[in-house]
Amino acid sequence: MGYKRIKKDQLNAFLRELSKDYAVVLPSRSGGQVVFGPWDGENTDFLDWYKNTVIPPKALFFPPVEEMFRFRKGEEGYEIEELMPDKGQQIIFGIRPCDARALKIIDMLFADTYRDPYYLRRRENSLLIGLGCNEPCDTCFCASLDISPGQSEDVDILCTDTGEDLLIEAISDKGGNLLSRMSGLSDAGSEEESKARELRKSAKERITREINLSGLQERMRSNFENRAYWEKVSKKCMACGICTYVCPTCHCFDINDENRKKEGKRVRNWDSCKFPLFTRMPMENPRHEKWRRMRQRYHHKFEYYPMNFGAIACTGCGRCIRECPVNVDVTEIIGGI
Amino acid sequence: MMVAVEKDKGDSLMEGDNVYIPHVMKIEKVIEETQNIKTFHFNFKDETQKAQFGFKSGQFAEYSVFGVGEATFCISSSPTRMDHLEFSVMRVGKVTQAIHELQEGDEIGFRGPYGNWFPLDSIQGKNLVFVGGGIGLAPLRSLIWNVLDNRDIYKDIVILYGARSPADLSFKYDLEAWDKDDRVNMYTTVDRGDESWTGRVGLIPPVLEEIGPSPENTVAITCGPPIMIKFTLQSLEKLGFTHDQIITTLEMRMKCGIGKCGRCNIGNIYVCKDGPVFTYAQIRSFLSAEF
Amino acid sequence: MENRLKEEARKLLKEGKVDYIVGYGNGTVKFRTSPLITNKEEDIESLVINPFIANNLSRYPTEIKGKLGIVVKGCDSRSLVSLMQDNKVNRDDMVILGVPCEGVVDIKKLGEQIGADIDQAKEIDKEGDNLIVQMDGSKKTVPFRDVIFDKCFGCEYPTPLEYDILLGSEVSPRIEIEKSLKKIKEFEDTDAPERWRYWKEQFSKCIRCYACRNVCPACFCERCFVDVNIPQWITTYGSWQDNLVFQLIRTLHVAGRCSDCGECERSCPVGIPLRSLQRKMVEEVKGLFNHETGVDKDAFPVFTHYEATDPEEFIK
Repeated sequence: MGYKRIKKDQLNAFLRELSKDYAVVLPSRSGGQVVFGPWDGENTDFLDWYKNTVIPPKALFFPPVEEMFRFRKGEEGYEIEELMPDKGQQIIFGIRPCDARALKIIDMLFADTYRDPYYLRRRENSLLIGLGCNEPCDTCFCASLDISPGQSEDVDILCTDTGEDLLIEAISDKGGNLLSRMSGLSDAGSEEESKARELRKSAKERITREINLSGLQERMRSNFENRAYWEKVSKKCMACGICTYVCPTCHCFDINDENRKKEGKRVRNWDSCKFPLFTRMPMENPRHEKWRRMRQRYHHKFEYYPMNFGAIACTGCGRCIRECPVNVDVTEIIGGI
Repeated sequence: MMVAVEKDKGDSLMEGDNVYIPHVMKIEKVIEETQNIKTFHFNFKDETQKAQFGFKSGQFAEYSVFGVGEATFCISSSPTRMDHLEFSVMRVGKVTQAIHELQEGDEIGFRGPYGNWFPLDSIQGKNLVFVGGGIGLAPLRSLIWNVLDNRDIYKDIVILYGARSPADLSFKYDLEAWDKDDRVNMYTTVDRGDESWTGRVGLIPPVLEEIGPSPENTVAITCGPPIMIKFTLQSLEKLGFTHDQIITTLEMRMKCGIGKCGRCNIGNIYVCKDGPVFTYAQIRSFLSAEF
Repeated sequence: MENRLKEEARKLLKEGKVDYIVGYGNGTVKFRTSPLITNKEEDIESLVINPFIANNLSRYPTEIKGKLGIVVKGCDSRSLVSLMQDNKVNRDDMVILGVPCEGVVDIKKLGEQIGADIDQAKEIDKEGDNLIVQMDGSKKTVPFRDVIFDKCFGCEYPTPLEYDILLGSEVSPRIEIEKSLKKIKEFEDTDAPERWRYWKEQFSKCIRCYACRNVCPACFCERCFVDVNIPQWITTYGSWQDNLVFQLIRTLHVAGRCSDCGECERSCPVGIPLRSLQRKMVEEVKGLFNHETGVDKDAFPVFTHYEATDPEEFIK
């Protein structure tokens, strides 16, 4: 199946057709924020202003707060009612290649050994329609992580904005099946295809920020006990959780109970290795100091995760750099090792 | 000699099971061990669940008081005695406080077993030295009873248990039973005695050196507070134990118990999934001694 | 000013009068600065002072051990004075390098003004009352007053009130209180259900990253009440009600200590207008206790001190 295309002003009709079978989620504005939210059935103007969201699309699969089950104390003791995401199918439209890769990366963790039913249920029920980046941001460094801003193998369908048209390409079988059922798509000509290729090439070239990953494992290992280095680079860090919460691959969580009289819920919520409480035990805390926590975060992403799952847990989306109140820069820290 | 420590592959989970949903269990008995440690005997409410359940010594579970939260403890009873299960808790925080308030007949949430276990197969035919401190006897007693219930396939057994004071000795009923059992060489010590204490006084590591078990065809299994472990390892080394003849368990803060929530790692090793049971040789092969 | 700073900072380090210089350097993101904390003379050349020095560096003295040469703007100096009043920092451990401040550029506002992402600007210079923004092939002139943070309007103390070395000449205050309070007044004009709806929407966004708390110099509790679980005051995760309660309690805790530096709002990754709460509290404290944070070095912290003349209408 070759490339398809639609006029951008036909995107509305395209999405409407998708909406018949899927809940369509796409970049929208809510409370002054750009977020992935339910499509209002009208607007497609995000094509004009959308770069990326602050909260990454991992939140659609691994929400900041997840109610796992409800418990109630009855006559016969506690009863438990599982709270699973519903089985409805959804389409995430407009996910960026970096964020789609991030999902592939955390899939490995959530599917490892004990399968995480909440995350995996949502993954199984979702179809990703990616939107290639033509104009990456100043903070992007995805190219260093083997991600091309305009291309993706991690989505089901990939769109490229060629100005007048959206060029549509099936990536997975799931995506191909869907496209073959859609009306209103025309075949793309070679002219559009070469235009898309051109755009992808120039997008990749516009990425100037780099992260030096050569000899990474050895470098990180030999620097691990370099306390002076970690103290220096963590000095300005405010030890807030922004970098972890805006990270598309950070996946740490906490589990808590909520209770009202004889019933309540068990919820899991995002947690951050940047907080001292994260590892605090009654008698000791192995990562009490800020520099240890910062070291843990980078080593987790760039050493432990590759050792355990074979992939660096960073996609170069640049959110942590952009959102950090004191401009702690991962490329600088890894580069300085 | 090499003691292999096996790894959990999550086999206990059936397809479609939600790993986060606990079994509701009933507390059958509460034993006050010390002023801040209690042991709970608990059981499945459902006989089918009970029949399907299995675990191995050294494994842990997530226990919860509904409405308060979950905490991690080892299963301190032996898999050879499946009439009921046991766990022991020191009161240190919110969840442990709530657990301490539980009484016979109350219900708890229980999910597990998780983690790896003591290598029962590879310690067969060997002399065993158990060294436990304080509540650190909990995981050891699971293995000790397991071993005693199959006494013939092991050689000499030494148990050394210590606590800060006579009042801090947990599992006194076990200590008594082992003391009476002539198949076991039992030693109990306290850091500081009191008027009525007629037993041994001394820190665990020097007492261990004094007892002086031979490392020949022996495996030492130790568990206790970090500072005790540190010096016990040194003493075992002095006695000639090699690093792979020593087995211990590690403790880190845990939440999920299944390698996802991200907090219990030492380097790339996740204590919940790769441990909690490690040989000293394994611990020394970790990326770093630091966290 | 920048050269003067480098000169003084170098001297301070060389003469051993301070262990660290806490100032600003260029960030790794376009037009952003970043705290530069160093004990090395070779780093001094990287110190900057420009209209983008947003961070309130007075957050650091409670954390970094040793004597500090610290760069402060007007609002930051008041945070520092407030910390002295609370005995959180020792005046003798600091050499304060004061920057008279004409206002700090709000990158978001600037982006709106130039109608493009700030990434696309090549260079930005301040010329008189304007910012000259060099874009790809074009040049835009933006009035400076249109792109500074709301807090900078009506800043009554743009020149630091406490310093050892003043790095430039004093700046006269901008008396544009109304513009500074515009958003708050607009908000106060709405009715209660609307206000409730508004804060519900805002606090539903909160992800509990605690950046607002961690960047705040006045949030110096060794253990924040949200991190205490016996008793558990609020949940550790975010229902919007608990998020709101967290912020309200934080607002009360920093009442009389907040210098309206606006770092909470600037740092918030999900754009909750936190400064409105803080600014409102500043008004209340001034109205009730005639107290302005960090203005009078000899004043007592307002909530740890009692005066017979304190209003007590709430006791009825």
